[in-house]
Amino acid sequence: MRASLRRILAIGSKEFIHIRRDPRILILVLVVPLVELLLFAYAISFNVTDVPTVVLDGDKTQTSREFITNFEASDFFKVTSHIDSLSDIDDAFVASEAGVAVVVKPGFSRALDRGEQGQVAVFIDGSSPNTAQFAQAYSTALTNKLGAEVTVEYMQRSGVDPTQAGGIDSYLRTWYNPERRSADFLVPGLIVVIIMIVTVQQTAVTLVREREQGTFEQLTVSPMRRGELMLGKITPWVAIGVIDMIAIAALGVWLFDVPMRGDVFTFLLAIFLFVLCCLAIGLIVSARASSLESANIAALLIAFLPAFMLSNFVFPLYSLPAVLQWISYLFPARYMVAIARSVMLKGAGMEVLWPQVLALGVYAAVSLTIATLMYARRA
Amino acid sequence: MTDPVDSSGYVVSTPTTQTAPENTCAIEACGISHLFGHDVIAVDEVNLTVDEGEIFGLIGPDGAGKSTLIRMLATVLAPTVGDATIFGDSVATNPAPVREIVGYMSQSFGLYPDLSVLENMEFFARLRGVPSDEIYERIDRLLGFANLLEFMDRRAEHLSGGMKQKLSLAVTLLHEPQLLLLDEPTTGVDPVARREFWRIIAGLHRQGITVFVATPYMDEAERCTRVAFMDGGRMRLIDTPENIKASVPPELIGSDEDRPSMEAAFAYVTRMIAEEEASERAEAAEQVAVEGEES
Repeated sequence: MRASLRRILAIGSKEFIHIRRDPRILILVLVVPLVELLLFAYAISFNVTDVPTVVLDGDKTQTSREFITNFEASDFFKVTSHIDSLSDIDDAFVASEAGVAVVVKPGFSRALDRGEQGQVAVFIDGSSPNTAQFAQAYSTALTNKLGAEVTVEYMQRSGVDPTQAGGIDSYLRTWYNPERRSADFLVPGLIVVIIMIVTVQQTAVTLVREREQGTFEQLTVSPMRRGELMLGKITPWVAIGVIDMIAIAALGVWLFDVPMRGDVFTFLLAIFLFVLCCLAIGLIVSARASSLESANIAALLIAFLPAFMLSNFVFPLYSLPAVLQWISYLFPARYMVAIARSVMLKGAGMEVLWPQVLALGVYAAVSLTIATLMYARRA
Repeated sequence: MTDPVDSSGYVVSTPTTQTAPENTCAIEACGISHLFGHDVIAVDEVNLTVDEGEIFGLIGPDGAGKSTLIRMLATVLAPTVGDATIFGDSVATNPAPVREIVGYMSQSFGLYPDLSVLENMEFFARLRGVPSDEIYERIDRLLGFANLLEFMDRRAEHLSGGMKQKLSLAVTLLHEPQLLLLDEPTTGVDPVARREFWRIIAGLHRQGITVFVATPYMDEAERCTRVAFMDGGRMRLIDTPENIKASVPPELIGSDEDRPSMEAAFAYVTRMIAEEEASERAEAAEQVAVEGEES
């Protein structure tokens, strides 16, 4: 037992020397994640504002100008130009100069005065779905509001008390992220994706390198057991991975004001287990890969795609096909994203998250065992 | 014996060799074979006995199966068929004690290039379970022995070819093995470093360590107590260098030499073996032809 521990420590400290000697690795694991967080968090924003908007006022009356002013006053739309013909809309969309076009038809004000429907058209460039979705919601809301005002005005002019009419009043509240800030939504998921990419990569090359260097045979003829090699290999990376992840989370909280409402201990335990899972996946890749290049590529694919697509990070899992939902259980990212969001945004702790934390623990144990067995069989 | 190696005081395995009984077999291989995949026979039923205290040389062309044989004896590779015992322990079924008494030096440089000489030694000493209070004393002794003390802090990747090989050897000696398995330890090393390496081997041999060495160099083969010639996965010939040289007919020896060089002797022996095989094949073919006629 003590001899075994000594060997694990010997391998662990050797790995630390490797890391210390290679400045590229240090930059890769310490600087790149922070840069990635900044890039992602600043660049990926699902909050849409200032959508360039062109306006075609075919009515040219005070009423139509008032209607258009409402668009100009909104944060969402930014009226960039006034155009004269419908064909100009095509040009503006094709040149990506506008995402929305608002058209007020001739006779708009006359129709309203007569108590008829005033006709406006809103065209939306659907080539960027997110913006289009927002544009649709906003313009519908805006025209509904204006339409209601018109109705109230008309009722008042006709001597009807509008407050007597019944109606439905909906009361909407967004929980956990009331301002619906992208950072709150993104940062907890980003931590997971970034750490997965960085850590899987590191252990993926480690066993391959031992084989390519010829040091693997020297390890084989020593009294060391395979499991000891695996544990020794991941020891320094567990430390680095956990520190890395805490640093990114702290940066998210400090720089992007992402809340940290829940149980920090649960979060730390989950981080530790998640890092173990990632390192074990890397070792499995390493046990099979035939060269450093193939190990790198395999690690990147295995780390990046599921972490990005199948983790609930950006794409909601419930909207994926059932098969992909099942597959998502095979990667640790989905558990960790759930934990990170629940702890940071919803204030959850172990009493709610124990199934996910347990899943990570089982995942880590199973994948480390698989890595050891696969490596043993290969040699 | 004015060999400088002796003065460095390498006293590794004197106690262990004293307790070992006389005439033990260091290596006893019995039909050991290895197949890569289903059809590539790398080592084909090799029988071999190496006595304790020998320097046993293994020569043969590339692809003869030398490395595969050594790797099986070192327990890196499991035999497909057959077995070998190292000081009585089976490499196939009981590799753990074999690893304790064998020092294996692979053909490739089996050290960490980004670690210093000292760090490499420390790592393998810990991995080998050398007691903590003995580690540095042993490292000092071995590095002194290999003339590497002044390069202790140099990274292994910045050592010359000869120094790398000496460091590899020092690493394999850390756990004080009784049998050294060396796979072409001096390939790609300059002649001066090669001589120094062999002086060290000779020193180890004098201390009772058995050496089993594959080499492409005939002058090195000549330093061995016995030599085996391997080709196509089989042992073609095992004998002392003297006997091999004596087997060359006198009329084939050049007039300016009183005895054939090892190189000439092996060229001759190789030719003899090839001719023998060709005639065997011819006989076998004839046999088949005769049987065909009879039926």
